[in-house]
Amino acid sequence: MTTNPTDYAHPEALVETDWLEQHLDDKDLRIVESNEDILLYDTGHIPGAVHIDWRSDLQDAVVRDYIDPEKFAELCSRNGIGPETTCVFYGDKANWWACYALWAFRLFGHKNVKILNGGRDKWKAENRPMTREVPKFPRANYPVPNERRDKEIRAFADEALAQSREKKPLIDVRSPGEFKGEITHMAEYPQEGVLRGGHIPGAKSVPWKMATKEDSTFKPASELAKIYLEQCGIKPGTDTIVYCRIGERSSHTWFVLTYLLGLDNVRNYDGSWTEWGNKVGAPIEKSA
Amino acid sequence: MMYPGKLQNIIELFETLPEVERRETLVNYAESAPKQEPRPNEKFDLEDVRKDEECADKVGVYLHVDENGRAHLRMTLGPEVQTLTRAMTSILCKGLDGATPQEILDLPSDFVTRIVGAELVRVRSQTTYYVLTRIKGVCKVYLDRQRAKVA
Repeated sequence: MTTNPTDYAHPEALVETDWLEQHLDDKDLRIVESNEDILLYDTGHIPGAVHIDWRSDLQDAVVRDYIDPEKFAELCSRNGIGPETTCVFYGDKANWWACYALWAFRLFGHKNVKILNGGRDKWKAENRPMTREVPKFPRANYPVPNERRDKEIRAFADEALAQSREKKPLIDVRSPGEFKGEITHMAEYPQEGVLRGGHIPGAKSVPWKMATKEDSTFKPASELAKIYLEQCGIKPGTDTIVYCRIGERSSHTWFVLTYLLGLDNVRNYDGSWTEWGNKVGAPIEKSA
Repeated sequence: MMYPGKLQNIIELFETLPEVERRETLVNYAESAPKQEPRPNEKFDLEDVRKDEECADKVGVYLHVDENGRAHLRMTLGPEVQTLTRAMTSILCKGLDGATPQEILDLPSDFVTRIVGAELVRVRSQTTYYVLTRIKGVCKVYLDRQRAKVA
């Protein structure tokens, strides 16, 4: 499915824009757009794409948590997604939210998931078709998943703390300024309510952007291996936790480590810095 | 609270819209944002073009105050500015046209959620308020300068 050099561990997890344009009408495929820009889908999207919003669709409306398996089954069913449907995720911001949505789908055990390499920006830059027509698909009957796989691919604050104390790999994917504690928000973003700056003790700084090229596509596996395995020192088989501010940029890195480099045991700490930087008593390191 | 007449009309329009139409109308406003850019030969009392940390791209605010003391706004937006921010640009340029700089400065920001809807104002869409802040900033500088002249 990919035209990129297929030295990725799971090349089937990526599709290229050319391929997707030729498969827009595949019945067993559902294209899913997930963005940071809340109205971007409404301005135009890939024909046949449904919109899944990271907040209103994937998160609980009251508690800071993800939806439960019943709501996930309903979300899929109303978007015509069955348990065997292949979901191709894409979006703005170099696929941050696409990776976040994919990760959330994996939380519920949905198997057939892929990312559109380069995301929405690349599709648009190549002048590929866009439409404002919101597709209607026959309702599917998605069985309610038995559980949410929190233990497998998601980390909580106490687990991140244990990871820090045991000196196991913790990857901070935020910008260097956020990691050092010089700023408490991303450049170009408003403050999102964090009281302390810095990083989890022992975390290594590998900004998410290290994994992408200028056109938002992923770097080849050899370059990714150099960054994460050689320079950062992640060893296959070792428990690894990634985090950012609210879990979207770290979903991008989680995708890279899990699907492109084929590492097992990688978890996304979605509470991330908006939890850690506010948590009473949480240890914080500031460094150059 | 009554808002400047044109803005009041826009607020009332949005409050009658069901959610789907609200989103469509916001997108239409966003797409008309380029119409708010300065036109050739227009002259301004103040120009404030900059890239701030809290917005994704450069935003320019241009203020002209006519002989009757009424404000007329133009704005430029960089390509990375979010759709909702673009929509607010159009809405505010139209809605505040003809208000005085002091009226703009005194404007409470509570109308934003009445236009946009609470669902769309949240983490990662807070720059909805940014355009209003920038417009108020220009009006404040203008009024400060006018007061300095009088003093």
